[in-house]
Amino acid sequence: MSENILIELKGLTKSYGYGDTKYFALKDFDLTIKRGEFIMIMGPSGCGKTTLLNIIGLLDRATRGEYILNGENVANISMRRQAKLRAKKIGFVFQNFNLIEDLPIIDNVSLPLVYTGYSKTAQLKNASSALRRFHLQEKEYYLPYQLSGGQQQRVAIARAIVNDPEIILADEPTGNLDSRSSHVVMEELKAIHEEGNTIIMVTHNPALTVYATRVINMLDGQIDTDIKTVEDQNLPQPISVKIKKRKKSRRK
Amino acid sequence: MATLFRTHLRLARTSIKENRTRSFLTCLGIAIGVASIVLILSLMGGISNLIKNEISEIGSDLIVVRPNSTKDSVTSVIEELTSSNSFQNSSLSIKDVDEIKKLEDISAVAPIAISNNKIDSEKNNLSSVQILGTNSDFIKIQPIALHYGSFLNDENEEKTVVLGRTLSLALFNTINSTIGKTITIMGEKFMIVGVLDEVDKSINFDNIDFDNAAIINIKHLNKIAETAQIQQINIKAKNTDSLGQISDNIRNTLTNQKLGDQNFTVSYGDSIMHPASSLFMIVSGMLTLVAAISLIVGGIGVMNIMLVSVAERSHEIGVRKAVGASSRNILMQFLFEALILSLMGGILGLLLGYILAFILSTITPFSPYISWHIIAVTFLTTTLIGIIFGIYPAIKAAAKNPIDSLRHYR
Repeated sequence: MSENILIELKGLTKSYGYGDTKYFALKDFDLTIKRGEFIMIMGPSGCGKTTLLNIIGLLDRATRGEYILNGENVANISMRRQAKLRAKKIGFVFQNFNLIEDLPIIDNVSLPLVYTGYSKTAQLKNASSALRRFHLQEKEYYLPYQLSGGQQQRVAIARAIVNDPEIILADEPTGNLDSRSSHVVMEELKAIHEEGNTIIMVTHNPALTVYATRVINMLDGQIDTDIKTVEDQNLPQPISVKIKKRKKSRRK
Repeated sequence: MATLFRTHLRLARTSIKENRTRSFLTCLGIAIGVASIVLILSLMGGISNLIKNEISEIGSDLIVVRPNSTKDSVTSVIEELTSSNSFQNSSLSIKDVDEIKKLEDISAVAPIAISNNKIDSEKNNLSSVQILGTNSDFIKIQPIALHYGSFLNDENEEKTVVLGRTLSLALFNTINSTIGKTITIMGEKFMIVGVLDEVDKSINFDNIDFDNAAIINIKHLNKIAETAQIQQINIKAKNTDSLGQISDNIRNTLTNQKLGDQNFTVSYGDSIMHPASSLFMIVSGMLTLVAAISLIVGGIGVMNIMLVSVAERSHEIGVRKAVGASSRNILMQFLFEALILSLMGGILGLLLGYILAFILSTITPFSPYISWHIIAVTFLTTTLIGIIFGIYPAIKAAAKNPIDSLRHYR
């Protein structure tokens, strides 16, 4: 059962400032996340949702505490190792999509593969199949601004899953979208989750919690409520390992 | 690693293409610096090639003795700039010439003393003409031909002069039928005995423009111009095998003669090539310095543009880092961009420099000199410039915090 645990956070604390102005974004935060969970994190602004997501995504470091990802304590690893883990194990989806404006869609999607030693052809093949999945294959050589918000967010999701990550982190992915596009994006995320992917999503919209298997309410850097709507044994598990043409990386 | 290398190259290419005008202007900054260095190097190479060719024409049996300036180089350069004589205080004398003549295996010895003086003919007056004082051996060493007439004769006590072709034209408006006429140099009358063929080599190891010179015997020159000093002694050896031995002999003889003072240099072969005047070296050195400064300015341009680029692409850096780029990846991406900008500038500058050199060669006597050395120097300096001025913006890009950069949304 323990192998099903993907992430363990123990006593995670993140503080900003010193002395009187010291402020805790996260305070002794404990959380265990199992493979296959779809977690929604809710809470008022400033409660530390995004900080939590950034720390889980290895973009930020906790002031103290333990972060065990896949059995490995990654709280204090080097920046280089962090970058490597980001490239291989983590997929990000942002509220404002964060696509690179100057690059065509397909290059945006293949971006995580650039830094993991894939050959150019393998990059394009994988990116292309990821885009096909979101019905964007005719838009491969469009630039981001030529796409609607919903399409851009689907490109961002394609980018998040293209490297077959352990975990997908979404920071208010529907925050900038109308309800119709929101629905499409959420359906896509649901489909990804049903394939056995772990998703952690921050949102303000309570209506979206129907998609989640677990809803966490945060308050002042701590967990307020933590409700599981699906039993652990009923969580979707990875069905198959995708076979990819991977160029032998010459790096260690 | 190889894939990543190619990726960086591709990224740099895209980014440079996207900002075409900006990239071109930056390249131009580097190109101008490189072009001026290439121009100077190729012209300097052209000049030493000219002298090298001349020496090979003369033959490999030439030994040259030149005085060393007794003063430190800066003062002597200033003196050179302010006076017409290359060596104010020459350590060489006619006595030295006679001593060298006594040595074995030597076929001809000719001193060179130069003075700039007024020349009057019946038709024209010229205020400053290069007057070369030497002896009859000079023509045995230097491959100059007489248009007609004869060269100087040491036995002849009469005051005779041989004119350069252009000088003859300037004085008498003709190169023919000037023999037997007299000209006045500093109040002394000289009879013309010969006119030289056109030489058309204003740059040579003697530092004499033969077409515009009057050649007289050195003993007469010493009488009319006391400041004229021997600035070079040309020596022709009987055989080429023992040049080292002969020049050692000359060195020893002169050292004895001067009671141990080694204030002269004896050179043969390629080392003669160094232009007689250190002024030339100083001028070209200063030009190179100016060119180097413009190259540095070009480099600052690269740095400036890279800093702008880093600031503009903050968001891109954030995204790249979020999806897994390490700081090192980002550093390499921006360093490559700077390097490519600078190398492109280098290539452009190389072309520009050679085009300028070719244009210049059509109006000057020397031909541009193309060698792999210059190309290697160009690539080396531009690579260095790219790295030196690219590393700071690249480090700045790499050090960006991904969370802050992502907020930096355009």
